Amino acid sequence: MTDSSIKALQRKRMLQNILSPVIAILGGLMLGALIMLAVGTSPLYAYRQMFAKSFLDPYYLAQTLVRSAPIMLSGVGAAVAWRAGYINLGMQGQMCVGGLCATLVALFFPVKTPLTTILCFAVGMAAGALWALIPTFLDYKFNASLIITTLMLNYATNYITDYFVAYPIKDTAGDGLAFQSPQIDAAMRFFRFSKKNAMNIGVFVAIAAVVLIYFILKKTRFGYESKITGLNRKFASYGGIKSAKMMFTTMGLSGAICGFAACIEIFGARYRYVNAMFTTTGYAWTGLMAMLIAKYNPLLTLVYSIFLAGLSIGGQALQRAVGLPMQISDIIQCCITLFVSVKIVLDFTVFSKGGKA
Amino acid sequence: MLIKMENITKTYGSLVANDSVNLTLDKGEILAVVGENGAGKSTLMKILYGLEPMNSGRILINDREVEFRSPHDAIAHGIGMVQQHFMLFPPFTAAENIVYAHEPRKGMVFDRRKARQRTLELSRQYGLRIDPDAKVSQCPVGLQQRIEILKVLHQGVDIIIFDEPSAVLTPQEIDDLLQTIRDLKAKGKSIILITHKLNEVMATADRVMVMRSGSVVKEMACKDTSIDEMSFLMVGHQIRPREIEAVEKGRRCLDVRDLVLMGQGSKRVLDSLSLHVDEGEIVGIAGVSGNGQSELIQCITGLRRLSSGQVFIGDADVTNLSASQIRQSGCACIPEDRYLWGSASEATLAENCIMAHYNGNEKLMKRGIFRSKGVAEYAETMMKAYDVRYLSDRQEMHELSGGNAQKLIVAREMFQDSPLLLAAEPTRGIDIGAIDYIHGKLLDKRASGGSVLLISSELSEILELSDRIYVIYEGRIAGEFTRQSAKAEQIGLLMVGGKLND
Amino acid sequence: MNSLFVAAVINSTLRYSTPILFAALGSLYCTRCNVFNVALEGQMLAASFAAIVTNYFTHSVILSTMAAIGAGMLVALLVAVFQISLGVRDMVVGTSINLLVQSATSFLMQVIFGTRGTIQGNGMVALPKLSLKIGSLSFVNRMFESLSILDYLGYITAILVFLYLFKTVRGFHLRSVGISFEAAKSLGVKSQRIQFNSILVSGALCALGGLAQCMGMVTVFVENMTAGRGFIAMGAASMAQAHPIAAIFSSLFFGATISMSKTLQTYINSYFTESFPYFCTVIAMTIFGIIMIIRNKRKGIQKSA
Repeated sequence: MTDSSIKALQRKRMLQNILSPVIAILGGLMLGALIMLAVGTSPLYAYRQMFAKSFLDPYYLAQTLVRSAPIMLSGVGAAVAWRAGYINLGMQGQMCVGGLCATLVALFFPVKTPLTTILCFAVGMAAGALWALIPTFLDYKFNASLIITTLMLNYATNYITDYFVAYPIKDTAGDGLAFQSPQIDAAMRFFRFSKKNAMNIGVFVAIAAVVLIYFILKKTRFGYESKITGLNRKFASYGGIKSAKMMFTTMGLSGAICGFAACIEIFGARYRYVNAMFTTTGYAWTGLMAMLIAKYNPLLTLVYSIFLAGLSIGGQALQRAVGLPMQISDIIQCCITLFVSVKIVLDFTVFSKGGKA
Repeated sequence: MLIKMENITKTYGSLVANDSVNLTLDKGEILAVVGENGAGKSTLMKILYGLEPMNSGRILINDREVEFRSPHDAIAHGIGMVQQHFMLFPPFTAAENIVYAHEPRKGMVFDRRKARQRTLELSRQYGLRIDPDAKVSQCPVGLQQRIEILKVLHQGVDIIIFDEPSAVLTPQEIDDLLQTIRDLKAKGKSIILITHKLNEVMATADRVMVMRSGSVVKEMACKDTSIDEMSFLMVGHQIRPREIEAVEKGRRCLDVRDLVLMGQGSKRVLDSLSLHVDEGEIVGIAGVSGNGQSELIQCITGLRRLSSGQVFIGDADVTNLSASQIRQSGCACIPEDRYLWGSASEATLAENCIMAHYNGNEKLMKRGIFRSKGVAEYAETMMKAYDVRYLSDRQEMHELSGGNAQKLIVAREMFQDSPLLLAAEPTRGIDIGAIDYIHGKLLDKRASGGSVLLISSELSEILELSDRIYVIYEGRIAGEFTRQSAKAEQIGLLMVGGKLND
Repeated sequence: MNSLFVAAVINSTLRYSTPILFAALGSLYCTRCNVFNVALEGQMLAASFAAIVTNYFTHSVILSTMAAIGAGMLVALLVAVFQISLGVRDMVVGTSINLLVQSATSFLMQVIFGTRGTIQGNGMVALPKLSLKIGSLSFVNRMFESLSILDYLGYITAILVFLYLFKTVRGFHLRSVGISFEAAKSLGVKSQRIQFNSILVSGALCALGGLAQCMGMVTVFVENMTAGRGFIAMGAASMAQAHPIAAIFSSLFFGATISMSKTLQTYINSYFTESFPYFCTVIAMTIFGIIMIIRNKRKGIQKSA
């Protein structure tokens, strides 16, 4: 147990935790640059534009932050289940159901006060949780693969929720062309700081929620037990952790967080349920990428969500400015995820044998 | 000289597995390589068979230097290996396994008819009877080994390495195996036999090479040596039996009554099994692996529901309670496989240390929230007390060596300070120093009035530590001995389903 | 009910099942050597896109087919490099590559055509059609009316995959890697290479699925047109227990659910009918699970008898 080997250990941790995402992000941006060059856009100009129109300008920064809120929440929602070894791919569907149910309550509950918003959130979270627990139950009881069923429910759910805004609760005001619900009452919306942009307290609520989840995962019994379940289910059950309970609580929590994410978007940014609002925006998938880059760490997921949100807001601006398709942001984001998941193989055999040296 | 290995050196990190080892093998001879676990014999053979690269040294076959990048190269040079862990595919038939990687073919098509014929041919030629159409999953272990040997013969090799071939066999099967090895020699094959069972060496080998901690200690003709000399050379000192003090027996601590566990169909994995352990007693369960030991542990610890029967810990009936309830009733358990059951290798050492310790321990957890400082201190005390060599409690479990990982698990379970400890294979695959240490701790537990149920496939471990011994065979208790009445031969016979004469 | 109507439903079932069958074969091919390939979806979508782009510019079925297979295998190569060579977890590789292909195809679509949504065009050619005619049996003739050759080729491919896996030496080795990677490796079979290659093969198979989807019934590319078909195929493969012949039947089942959803649109709101195949997949996976549990229990009882 020499000082030098402890230093070597710390060096290795540094490399793994800090260097690897930095390299991956640089790699992703480089690859994006190559694509830009190939289609005849100057990468330097493009990245400067993207950065300016996502983080530097207050209007765009507000957009970035507003967009990051549902992303970080759905990402953390996914992380809660994934780190316990349960693959939830149905975040999108859980957001749809949670968002729709919350909207329904907001529209039809007779009393419209800020307190009703809390009720809406509760209903949205419960609906999201329920929508995650159905496939969980099917997997637990009948071995129906969670991966396939949760993914299938994304598509199925989206059609059903879109039906609602196309028929029963379609907004008939205005030209009536848009498939969307009526707006929720002004008393129930999240406070906005300025009329100029969409920045609202929802973003801070989301950040607070992520920090709370970080604390839960890092410090509590549930966090410990779910982590161990994900790493070695046999060890967990040997230690007295009930795996069925873990499966249902992590999946339920995951769905609830996704429902919460949808509510943040509806009560903070859109004020209504809009046709395909969670599919075209791709929040759930961006969130999934963010949490994979963060290796399930909620705080890092928060950071990467803001980064990825900025990337797509910047990408949108870039499309308007020079016509470069905004999917470039998604391409870069997927590449970062792939790169970061490659383990940096380092030969630190000195302490790999437990300090026998 | 058929094979000549010169100055073979192999290191894993800081561990020197082989330190300039030399080995020679003549045509038509049986060379035994003996040594304790971790002496480096398996590593040496893996190098010879192309499974592991060496750091330095060279291999000559018929005086020509060769380089093996894979077992394929070794086989091409006429070297085959019957591995300790069978390399068989259970769903495939015997014939399919025997011709594997050297299949007879018609164009692209696998000629199964010819594979069958070839199997029958080999079987006749070497007198190793086998049903070519039997699925390996349905063959007993002895037959599986026969398939392994036929496979090696099908590859047309002249040199056969046997790596601990008798480890999983019953005494009758061992006799057959030794006869087979002698027959193979008579048919002109050269053989290297890796083992730590010295009577097998005396029964078959021409020459013996003794290894200890990576080096060759001595090489000699079998007729010039004795079992005593070899065992002295292997261990490096005279084996002194441990002094074990008598301890007053206390009340009954574990009582298992008529435990039945049904397997597939009507097969009983555990069959009306009854046993008990008293305070101040180490009770050993001897048996060949796979006779229900794992299931027995899982039934006692609450990981499996019993089909019928009862389990008592102290006065409490714990039958079919949950794992955590049983732990709270006073049962700790060193699981049989430290990585499969006993730890999470990607979790930190601290996280591995506190498993099942935090319930109701206010130093570790208050109202469901962990106290970092308390956890760190607790882990440190635990690991220091059991001499775990580590750098930081935030290291991950897989960064520890096998012995240290095992010590951590033993420490964790000992720290439960529970009346009852189940110790399943507590010293499997770790070095001698660590084995000695863990044995000492188990005896300390007994001396302080604790009860230990020791389950091990190493009969010597059982014999050394146990006050009483049960023999388990096919899920049933086949016999019971006290320390005084225990005889290795009798236990060995019962372990394989034999009957005592008297 | 009109019998010709039934024949028409069967006809569309056959067409809709083809992409699923090919992808299911791709999935089970990987499963057989213990590789979980989650990127079927991406492999299909890339192939569809490449086929339509090539079709748009060359009007050649052969070139489109080659482009499809090339694109499918290129994506598969990416999967293989990350999953096998670099050891990245299957779920991570699969989900990121599915998303990557989805965004890359939209990106390229805008770069090449300047539009979003769909690629259609005059003069694009469809796969050759083959109407199996048996005398004047109108029912049978309607059933097999103008199916594309891939609709027939699907079944032949399934049989070929079956023969390869169960009759050839290479197939034997592939399955052995699935049973025990370590044993196969220690016996000198290049386990990792086999896993790598099997992903490439699944890329080619999924490519044919993607081709059937974009040039079979209609000749068009729609953004994210696979819409979960890759995952449905995964379900089909697992219900077939990775057996190629059984996969024909499970794929036909899922083809039927899609066909039903299209047929029912006349009677039921399309939002519900569109979600029908996805709900069916969830239900089918559940029922399959129940059947397996019952079968395992019965097996136990049989053994006792």
